[in-house]
Amino acid sequence: MLQSVLEPLAKFFFLAAFLISIGLVATIMLFLIMGSLPVFEQEGWEFFTQTTWDAERGYGALPMIYGTILVTFLAVCFAFPLGLGSAIISSEVLRGRLRLMIKAVMEILAGVPGVIYGLLGITFLTTAVKNVFGLIDGNTILAAGIILGVMILPTVMTLSDDALKSVPRAYREQALALGLGRSETIFYAVLPNAIKGIVGAVLLGVSRAMGETIAVMLVIGSIDRLPQPIYNIFSSAQTITSKLGREAAEALGMASQWSALLGLGLVLFMMVMAITLIGDIAVAPSEVARISRTEDSKG
Amino acid sequence: MQKPVRVCGNIFFGMFAIHLVIGIWLAGCSREKPAEEIIRISGSTTVLPIVAKTAERFTELNQNVKITVSPGGSGVGIRSVAAGLATIGMVSREISPEELKNYPDVDFVRHPIARDAVACAISSEVYEAGLNKLSKGQIRAIYSGEIENWRAVGGPDQEILCIDKESHRGTRHVFMGFIFGDENAVALGADLVTGSNNEEQSKIALSDTAIGMLSIPWLNQEVRGVGIEVDGVVIEPSIENVRKGVYPISRDLLLITRGEPTGTVLEYIQFVLSAEGQRVVEESGYVAIGS
Repeated sequence: MLQSVLEPLAKFFFLAAFLISIGLVATIMLFLIMGSLPVFEQEGWEFFTQTTWDAERGYGALPMIYGTILVTFLAVCFAFPLGLGSAIISSEVLRGRLRLMIKAVMEILAGVPGVIYGLLGITFLTTAVKNVFGLIDGNTILAAGIILGVMILPTVMTLSDDALKSVPRAYREQALALGLGRSETIFYAVLPNAIKGIVGAVLLGVSRAMGETIAVMLVIGSIDRLPQPIYNIFSSAQTITSKLGREAAEALGMASQWSALLGLGLVLFMMVMAITLIGDIAVAPSEVARISRTEDSKG
Repeated sequence: MQKPVRVCGNIFFGMFAIHLVIGIWLAGCSREKPAEEIIRISGSTTVLPIVAKTAERFTELNQNVKITVSPGGSGVGIRSVAAGLATIGMVSREISPEELKNYPDVDFVRHPIARDAVACAISSEVYEAGLNKLSKGQIRAIYSGEIENWRAVGGPDQEILCIDKESHRGTRHVFMGFIFGDENAVALGADLVTGSNNEEQSKIALSDTAIGMLSIPWLNQEVRGVGIEVDGVVIEPSIENVRKGVYPISRDLLLITRGEPTGTVLEYIQFVLSAEGQRVVEESGYVAIGS
């Protein structure tokens, strides 16, 4: 008798949980879209091409979008080789207790809040960058890229380690049996089969780097302009998150400026969504296809 | 059912039940009037030292009043008062026409509590190399990017690190109003943007070639204020010159309220304007209002 009450009740709870979760995401998207309509009406496509940011000359997100992309790119350049290299060591070379210890430390580091990296950044990194490169100031795209790289390094490493470890032992044994050396085994037998997981790790790091606010805001210089020349990483600049961090508190209620900031938020939301989608579809198309096939057959 | 599955299911429903209970409890919670009265003050970091000290003194004298003070800048102060998030706003500039347009239903009342000045601050290394004064035209040229080296204004041969501020900051409005004649002027020659007076002070102190805008009490050994040259006369950024009314970049420091203040809020503002409050103003490095 209890079963007949629990069954529909359970269905109700699960459905409620699902709808609330979906509803929250949909609400966020709706909030961003509705709030940014005014600025898109006012600027149109120039929102993506202008470099000014005030009520008279118009709002342009180009410096912020470029800043986000460049800083994230630098972070990946830093974190990917180091992360993958460390993961190869921890998964293929380290044994037993040492491996467990390293893995545990990495997982803990992956959870350190971004603001801690920001504090490290302003204390050490900006002066270091200024002195090493002889700049007038160390608050640069390079400093932001480095600090984000350090931040996503544990994430990239620990997930790449998982990906490498999930390659079946048999592959390694077969490679060694065929006469391949240790490093050849790693590069030709193990790594190619772990690519999907590794790319997934990098994409997760990218999403985290794109969304980090305080760490970037403290070291990037917060100036709305494109670097001169465009590849000048020693220039101060602005990312979407650092702009929002600087202006959100005082722009709430100032109609056009607030709408422009929401527009920036929407752009960031879309960028992260795109990265996630690419991760799901391009990295594991066979997985996606397999899952949808088995779902169809279950009915 | 297997034991682990049963436990899992129970945990899930247990958590859901807890969420429901918390939700109902929060919804049913009525906003009780606390025994003590809370005054929220937010805004300009220039006004903050005065408010922090007077608030401390005021709450010592009135035990049932609690005052919270938070920074954020003049723009945040104005917005917080308009939105009802703060009872008093700290503002170090006049409310701009755009802000008035954005909040047409709000009756802002301004209460000047002190006079202050904005200095053109430079790194001590440049000051000690001999550069002690700048004219309005020179400062304007630096901030618009026409001048990029200290050599061009009589200083050492070094690239200038031109530090700007967030656009809503009171200090910036006043400085830009004097330099460019436009509170919202864009500084094309800026290399860096900072927020509060504290942040700007640290950036100028850490650099050996910086120029920025700072409220006078923040000047120190590392961060020196240059004399402003107007028509051949050099006016130092000193409290005396502000008191005499000759320093060109001066301003009233304001507390703003929504409508005329009453009750404890009025008492607090009157306390700041009293002899004791104005003594705090002078001790903090500003000029008492009406002197």
